[in-house]
Amino acid sequence: MAHNELILTDVTKRFGGLTAVDALSFKVESGQIYGIIGPNGAGKTTVFNCITGIYKSEEGSVLWRGEEIRGKTPYQIVDRGIVRTFQTIRLFGQMSVAENIMSGRHIKSTQRWWHGIIPTPGKKRDELENWQKVEEQLDFFKLSEFAATPVGSLPYGLQRRVEIARAMAVEPTLLILDEPAAGLNDKETLELLETIFKIRDKGVTVLLIEHDMDMVMEVTDYLTVINFGKKIAEGTPEEVQKNPAVIEAYLGSEDDDDE
Amino acid sequence: MKELQKFAYPVFFIVMAVLPHMLDDRWQAVAITFLIFAVVALSQDIILGKCGMFNMGQALFFGMGAYTTAILNNEYGWSIIATIPLAIIIPALFGILLAGPIVHLRGDYLLVVTIGFNIVFVQVLQNNLGGVTGGPNGIFGLDSLSFLGYDLMSQISVYYFAFIVLLLTLWVMHNLAGSKPGRAMHYLREDQLAAESIGINTRVYKIFSFGLGAGIAGLAGTVYATQYSAVSPEAFEFIQSVLFFSIVLVGGSSVPGVLIGVFVMFVLPEIFREFATWRYFIFGFAMIAAMIMRPRGIWPATFGKIPKFLIKDNNHGA
Repeated sequence: MAHNELILTDVTKRFGGLTAVDALSFKVESGQIYGIIGPNGAGKTTVFNCITGIYKSEEGSVLWRGEEIRGKTPYQIVDRGIVRTFQTIRLFGQMSVAENIMSGRHIKSTQRWWHGIIPTPGKKRDELENWQKVEEQLDFFKLSEFAATPVGSLPYGLQRRVEIARAMAVEPTLLILDEPAAGLNDKETLELLETIFKIRDKGVTVLLIEHDMDMVMEVTDYLTVINFGKKIAEGTPEEVQKNPAVIEAYLGSEDDDDE
Repeated sequence: MKELQKFAYPVFFIVMAVLPHMLDDRWQAVAITFLIFAVVALSQDIILGKCGMFNMGQALFFGMGAYTTAILNNEYGWSIIATIPLAIIIPALFGILLAGPIVHLRGDYLLVVTIGFNIVFVQVLQNNLGGVTGGPNGIFGLDSLSFLGYDLMSQISVYYFAFIVLLLTLWVMHNLAGSKPGRAMHYLREDQLAAESIGINTRVYKIFSFGLGAGIAGLAGTVYATQYSAVSPEAFEFIQSVLFFSIVLVGGSSVPGVLIGVFVMFVLPEIFREFATWRYFIFGFAMIAAMIMRPRGIWPATFGKIPKFLIKDNNHGA
């Protein structure tokens, strides 16, 4: 117990005749920044969907702290400390930044359904405590000045930050980031790197998918490379960069494009 | 807008509190109707506006409350006030039971199912199921309001009964807006997948919204039965549900929007009575125009109810 390990064993997900994820196994250890990379359509996001309960994999097992979480619903998985962000940002567009982050406090709030009808002193205290947690996240992510701004009107880079802040408001043990640098400029990517390191320093394990190779090499401790749903390599960034299979499947093909 | 609201609410409450003394009998009845339908429209707003569930069967819960009061009063001799708890609980339980198997349906499919429920309900009433609903004629000759031994026969007391029910509804909606369940409903309405992925059991809150909306509509039903001393099936037809549905859409999912919507739908037609059939022709076009020019409603829902200490001086927008 208390080993914050995520172990995937032979996870397979099929869509009709297409095998999107094929007998994939990997292990994320506590405190790591773990990367999953692979060319477009390699099945990276599908893996994340299988971990977070949006899809149920047909075969294999997903063990989190020794518990089988395959087949659990997304909110049950969040309850166990695994929170994700999306590649295409999914925020509550009409609502303010503060309210979006407040959604992350949902499972920590002690209010029950009847508190929606009748207020009690306990509810008032709970509301205040959770809004204060939201304030902490606003400060941590330097979003205080946008607290009351509807997220839909914010620039893309800030929306990314709000989404990570919302996930962090859950106080997760494992944070899953789906292409967090997609659509960010160089300056924003650098800020994101800093943020990811700061999140790790808080004791949160980070699992991320990334396209930006430079970023992956810089930020991750350990990598799994997948292609056509299969693992083709794993190791530290240095090891992976030297792996011929990776160079051929991913880096190599990029070089080809460049020539 | 915020300043206006701060000023407008007390004025609205004061005007509504003294209103019946300035009206004759006919207009008092119109004012009571306004209050009752405002409560039903607000209960519809909880399901459709706050939670985003396409429910087109709100008249079912309204009618269930009215019939609960009528049957308990007529068959079992309960006083009107004593029927209130059951007139809330029975529709609320039905709301939960009916919503349970259907809330996972996508918008338009849910809409068709709720229409079905509404039609079945009216058929059951008309066929006098169990011999207590009075068939197509309904139930009439209910007792008038009495409380602690006082007979409150006058129309003015019915008005204040309806007014208290409206205030209660507004109070519940205010509590809902600043609570975990209320926010969960907004989140799932905005993006269900994102809501689930942040830890919200969306199914529970969808069913909750149906239960709450049905309970409030049931309470409005009690007032309705009191006003007419009678209930009959045609008052709870599916076309009534359509009206409540369009009030929330046209008004926008906000308290002022819903009140404006109810006023336009139920009070304006009374004012322009001499134009007879032409009024619905004009209202139909007014609805079309409103939706084209203000697709989010005449008075759109505002989010952003956040505590003041979060709003810093150099805030952007909002």
